[in-house]
Amino acid sequence: MAGSPLSALARRAFADARVRTMSFALLFFFGAYAQTTGYRAAAPTLADRIEFARNFGANKAVRLLYGEPHDLLTVGGYVGWRIPGLLAVFAAVWGLLGAVRALRAEEDSGRAEIVLAGPVSRRTNFAAAAVAILAGTAVLWQALFLALVAGKLAVGGSAFLALAGVSAVPVFAGVGAVTSQLAPSKRVATGLAAGVLAFAFAVRVIADTADGADWLRWATPLGWIEEMRPFAGERPWVLLLPAVLSVVLFGVAATIMVRRDVGTGLLRSRDTAPPRLALLGSPTQLALRDERGVLVAWLAGVGAFAVIFGVISDSVASGLTENVRRELERFGAGSVVSAEGFIGFGFLFFILAVCVFVCAQLSAARHEEAEQRLETLLALPVSRRGWLFGRLVLAVAGAALIGLVAGVLSWAGAASQGADVSLADLLGAGANTLPPALLFLGLGTLALGVVPRAAVGIAYGLVGTAFLWELLGSLVEAPEWVRTLSPFHDVGLVPGEPFEAVAALVMLVIAAVAGAAGVALFARRDLAGS
Amino acid sequence: MNAIQTESLTKHYGTTVALDALHLSVAPGEVYGYLGPNGAGKTTTIRLLLGLHRPTAGAAQIFGLDAWRDPVAAHRRVAFVAGEPNLWPNLTSAETFAFLARVRGGIDEPYRDVLIERFQLDVDKKVRALSKGNRQKVQLVAAFAGRADLLILDEPTSGLDPLMEMAFRETVREAKERGQAVFLSSHILSEVEAICDRVGILRAGRLVEEGTLAELRHLSARTVEVTFEHEAPDLGGVSGVHVVGAGANAIRAEVTGSMAPLIDALAGHPVVAIESREPSLEEIFLHHYDESDGRVAA
Repeated sequence: MAGSPLSALARRAFADARVRTMSFALLFFFGAYAQTTGYRAAAPTLADRIEFARNFGANKAVRLLYGEPHDLLTVGGYVGWRIPGLLAVFAAVWGLLGAVRALRAEEDSGRAEIVLAGPVSRRTNFAAAAVAILAGTAVLWQALFLALVAGKLAVGGSAFLALAGVSAVPVFAGVGAVTSQLAPSKRVATGLAAGVLAFAFAVRVIADTADGADWLRWATPLGWIEEMRPFAGERPWVLLLPAVLSVVLFGVAATIMVRRDVGTGLLRSRDTAPPRLALLGSPTQLALRDERGVLVAWLAGVGAFAVIFGVISDSVASGLTENVRRELERFGAGSVVSAEGFIGFGFLFFILAVCVFVCAQLSAARHEEAEQRLETLLALPVSRRGWLFGRLVLAVAGAALIGLVAGVLSWAGAASQGADVSLADLLGAGANTLPPALLFLGLGTLALGVVPRAAVGIAYGLVGTAFLWELLGSLVEAPEWVRTLSPFHDVGLVPGEPFEAVAALVMLVIAAVAGAAGVALFARRDLAGS
Repeated sequence: MNAIQTESLTKHYGTTVALDALHLSVAPGEVYGYLGPNGAGKTTTIRLLLGLHRPTAGAAQIFGLDAWRDPVAAHRRVAFVAGEPNLWPNLTSAETFAFLARVRGGIDEPYRDVLIERFQLDVDKKVRALSKGNRQKVQLVAAFAGRADLLILDEPTSGLDPLMEMAFRETVREAKERGQAVFLSSHILSEVEAICDRVGILRAGRLVEEGTLAELRHLSARTVEVTFEHEAPDLGGVSGVHVVGAGANAIRAEVTGSMAPLIDALAGHPVVAIESREPSLEEIFLHHYDESDGRVAA
C-alpha cells in the first residue's frame, strides 16, 4: 500500500541513509571487482595458485585480516575468502550505523515524538526502520553480486557469496537496534554497538590465528561468514545463524521499544552533577573537554591493533621463504619480509585511521557551527580565525598522539617477542602518519571555508577515494602517474620502506596552503546553519 | 557615541533581499524594541550587528567599532541571547556560566547569583536535560550577569512562562537603570509596550515605522466607538474617518489626524456615549501587515 504510514516512514529512513548506502555500495562494487580481476592477473595458472595457497594458507598475518582460506585454486574461492574477511566488517559498520541513525538519532532529535504523535504505532515506526535497513542491505547485496558477475564468476555462486558478504548487516543492525534502546544518546549507542563489533572481530581473529581455536569461529557472526564457504563447498544452511540472530535482536529491541518512555534509554544518564571547572577557559579547551572521550576511544582502538601487529610481526617475518617473498612482491606488499616491514605495512592502516580521525574532528567543528553554538561563541570576544585555528590544532595534536601511540605500542608488542626493531624507527613511523592526515585536514578546511554544508562529506570522501584508489591501483597494476595521485601510495611505509621526504614535504605544503586559504575564507563568509 | 549605528545596512542571500538599507541607531541606556513577523529580517539584522554575516552593502557599528571588521573588540561590550538556545549539552548550567564568563573576561558574580535565584535555575542540571525555556533562562542569566554595555536579545522570552516573563522585564529595567542599552527583537507586543523606549517595525527587510510609543500612537489612527439612541447615521464620507464596524445603533471607526470632522458630523445626532482610545501596539503592528502581503504577525 503506497500511502501507508509504514511505507512512508520506511522511504524516509531509506532516503535519509542514501548517501551512506551509495558510498558503501560503490566501495563494495569496486572492492569485489578488483579482487576477481586482481587474482586472475596475479595468479593466472593453476601452478601459480598452488604456490600461492601453499605459502599463504597458513600465514598468520594474512589470516589475521582475512580469515582462513578454503580454496585458493579458483578465482571464486580466492574472492570468497577475501570478501568475507574485510568487506563483511564494512557491511557490519553500515548496519549498525543505519540502525542507530534510524532509531536513536530520530529520538535524539525529537522527530520520533512528532511521528508518534500522529496515528502511527511504535511497532509501525520500528518496523519502518527495519524495512529501510533491509532495503539498504538489498542494495549492498546487489552491488556485490553485480561486481562478481562482472568479474566473470558463476551467477549462482556469486549470488551466494554476495549473500554471505552482507549477512552481517542485519545482525549488526540488530545490535545497533538493541544499543539504541539501552543508550540515552546516539553517540553512546554507536559506541556500544561498535564495541560489540570490535569484540566479534577480535574473536574471529583469535579463531583464525590461535592453534586449536577453530571452534571459536562459530561464536562470532564474522566467523559464520567464513563457515558459509562461498565457492568452496558452499554451506547455505549457515545463513540460518545470522537470520535467526537478527530476528532475535530486532525482537528484543522492539520489545524494549514499545515498553519504555520515548526519548529515554534503559541506561539512565546522570543529568545532575556538581560543577567541574577544568577546561572551560576557552572555546578550544571546551572542544577538548567535549572530544576527550572520542580521543580515548581512538587511542584504545589504534593502540590495541598496534600491539597485535607488533606481537605477530616477528613470527610473520621469520616464517617467510623466498617463494613467499616473491608472492608478496607480486601482491604489492614486498616490504612485508621483516618485522619492521610488516609493521610498516600495518601503518598503512594506522595512517588511514589518523586521516579518518582528523575528518571526524573537522566534522565536530562543523557540527558546532551547524548547531548554531558557534554564533553564541562568536558573539563573545572570540575571533573566527582563533576558533578555527584552535580546532585545527586540536585535530593535529590528537592525530600526533594517535600516531605516537601506534608507534610506541607496536614497538612494545614487537619487543615483547624479541623482534629486532628500534623504538626510534617506530616513533618515526608514528610521525609519518601526520603528512597525509594534515593534507586531508587542510583540504577539508578549505572545503569548510568554501562550501560549509558539504565540507565534512568532501573530507571523508577524499580519504575514502584516495585509499580505494591505492587499493585498486595496486591490484590492477595501474601506471605510476595514476597511482601517485593517492597520498596512500606516495607515503613511504616507514620503517620497512624509506621515508619519502619529498612526498611528505609536498603534502605538508599543500596542507598549509589549503588550510591557510580555508581559514581565511572561513573568516570572510557568513556562518551557515544546518 | 551610539551603542548601535547602522548606515544603509543591506543583506542579500542570493536573489532574496533579507534586509534593505536599514538605518538604525540605539543610544546607550536605551531599550529598543525590534518588531516584525517571521521572516521579516530581525535575525538577519542581529547576525549583521554581531558580524556573523557579512553585509552586502552598508555597515553596522557597535560603539563606533565596525561589526564585520572589528568583531572581537566590539563584542567586549556586547552580550547576546540567541533565539535558538543551543548550548553545550554536556555542560551543567554552572559550568556554562563559568565558561562564558571566562571567555568574556569577567562577570558580576553577586548579580549572577541574584539572577539565578530570580529565574529559579537548578545550576547543577546538564543543559541537555533542560527544556527550551530553561535553556533560554541560562542564556539570559549569563548575558545580564556579564554587565555588557549592549545586550542584543533575539526573541529571548519565547519559551518563558508569565512569571519568568515578569522576571525578565524586571531585569531589563535594572539594566536600563545601569545605563546598559538593550536591543530586543520580539513578537510579544505587550512586552515591548511595557519595557521599550523606542520601537522599530520591520517588514520584508525594511523599517516601516520607528519612534517612541507615543509618537507611533500619534501617527496612527485612534479607535472611536459611538453609541446612538436610535439608528446610527452614515459617517462614511467624513474626512479622516474610516468605519470599521457597525451595529444596530453603534459604530466603530478609526480616526486619523484631527477629531474635529467627526465631532462636527456627530453634532445634532442623539449620541449616548463616545469612547475613544489610543491604538494598542498590536493594532499599530497589524495595521502594517494586514493590508499588503497578507502576512500576519505571529
